[in-house]
Amino acid sequence: MQLPVLNDASSPAAHGAKGGCEASSCGTTENQMDSLPDSIREKIQNHPCYSEDAHHYFARMHVAVAPACNIQCHYCNRKYDCSNESRPGVVSELLTPDQAVKKTMAVAANIPQMTVLGIAGPGDPLANPERTFETFRRLSEEAPDIKLCVSTNGLALPDAVEELSKHNIDHVTITINCVDPEIGAKIYPWIFWKNKRIKGVKGAKILIEQQQKGLEMLIAKGILVKVNSVMIPGVNDQHLAEVSRVVKAKGAFLHNVMPLISEPEHGTFYGVMGQRGPTPDELQDLQDSCSGDMNMMRHCRQCRADAVGMLGEDRGDEFTLDKIEEMDIDYQAAMEKRKVIHVAIQAEMDSKRLEKAQKAEQHKQVAKLSTRPVLMAVATSGQGVINLHFGHAKEFLIYEASPDGVRFISHRKADQYCGGDSTCGDGESTLQLTIRALAGCEAVLCSKVGYEPWEQLEAAGIAPNGEHALEPIEEAVMAVYQEMAAAGKLVTTPEAVRASA
Amino acid sequence: MAVKIIESCVNCFACEPVCPSKAIYEAKPHFLVDAKKCTECEGDFPVYQCASICPIEGAILDSFGIAINPPGSLTGIPPEKMAEAMAELQSH
Repeated sequence: MQLPVLNDASSPAAHGAKGGCEASSCGTTENQMDSLPDSIREKIQNHPCYSEDAHHYFARMHVAVAPACNIQCHYCNRKYDCSNESRPGVVSELLTPDQAVKKTMAVAANIPQMTVLGIAGPGDPLANPERTFETFRRLSEEAPDIKLCVSTNGLALPDAVEELSKHNIDHVTITINCVDPEIGAKIYPWIFWKNKRIKGVKGAKILIEQQQKGLEMLIAKGILVKVNSVMIPGVNDQHLAEVSRVVKAKGAFLHNVMPLISEPEHGTFYGVMGQRGPTPDELQDLQDSCSGDMNMMRHCRQCRADAVGMLGEDRGDEFTLDKIEEMDIDYQAAMEKRKVIHVAIQAEMDSKRLEKAQKAEQHKQVAKLSTRPVLMAVATSGQGVINLHFGHAKEFLIYEASPDGVRFISHRKADQYCGGDSTCGDGESTLQLTIRALAGCEAVLCSKVGYEPWEQLEAAGIAPNGEHALEPIEEAVMAVYQEMAAAGKLVTTPEAVRASA
Repeated sequence: MAVKIIESCVNCFACEPVCPSKAIYEAKPHFLVDAKKCTECEGDFPVYQCASICPIEGAILDSFGIAINPPGSLTGIPPEKMAEAMAELQSH
């Protein structure tokens, strides 16, 4: 079955976003893609994983077709499978390529905002070449309006580049945690290579060589490459600036630094041995130093290998195998509907982008403050506005307001990684955990805040604010920042120099 | 002469394609080895292929019933450390 491509990325709407914000630094420091060439920007500006504003509108999904892995990482445990867990490499249901194609089309028909399908495991997609490529081949033919992505540890990448270039794949993510085999040996205990298990520095050296070779080959083919790195304090944190320099010099368009997720109950080497993950401050400092001109992927959620829906949400339960079996999908009709919805979303995003740029321009005209930067947390369920009740937020977006504008920094989970009962974790209540997750923030903006959390937030030095419900996030954050400045709360202190550096 | 896959197998598929004798097959609740087909890789490779890619310690036994990858050999987690962590978790 050959279907026409209805959602061509070169649609005129995709070009309208530049509006009044051509310069490389427009007042809001959040306009993250300005430093990229137009050809790359066009490919990624509507991708929920790459574009901070697009992730409020477009959804993604992963299909778990690739169970086998050819290496071991110290942050991974192949035994783990828990529906309350939200980590890469964790899945509930393994799919055959046929089931994956059905599921993808069922999701695309029911969640028209879903534009991106990724294969990310739970093992290494390229260590399962037949299952991975069968899925890609069929989706390229049967659902041509869906962008395809794949992530890999890189070991089998050089041999897969030719095949990857044949499908509708414009992004490959390589996880590169080091370029030094001595450091690699502390992250990768072994690899399976040429019919042997190879341990230690020797194995790490081969892995690193394959990753770098694969990266170069993809760039030579014109395929976009993103590099993911896991930040492991005391292991590769000092080294990742070097990784960033190397991979960008070779042509990776983006380097995404993610925090190590490590708890003893995960049963991973790092979890059991007590290796900690980075604090939000440490992560932000490293991300800032690696980002160069780009400020992307701060919204990365380190999704499960079977995640479905908008970033930060998982609607996988609506699309289990037995449920999709009962769905009768007319994909041609779905594609028509998706096209209309995508055009409408695009128009809304474009107008928001333009509005944001104009606001930033106005902000530039106003006398510049010399106050210190402030972190604020925001509760939102999407569309770029403050529209979520404090108690309903599963995660908060963290923004930094400064005299230079408003910049998205990260997201923080309100309920950590556990969906267990409220006494879980040293007897702290969910509210206490949430307040702890907001450490460093001086205000939290929500559509509403209840009486009990209000008092506790205030006691923790985080000002609850429900006055900006349904307002665009950046405007509300700036308004609160200006109120704080006017109230004299933001006189520059020496400590603030670090945050603005 | 054959290796055996036991219940700690997590069904990750890694061993199935690397077997030179096509002796490994998907089954419930976990993958199994056809003892009639398994050659322990003799004549093909100097080491067991399935046990060289298997990520789970103790999941594959040799013909004497001994784990080819004993506890601690793959993850690097000392078995006593693992036991300690698990006991700590269960006490909560």
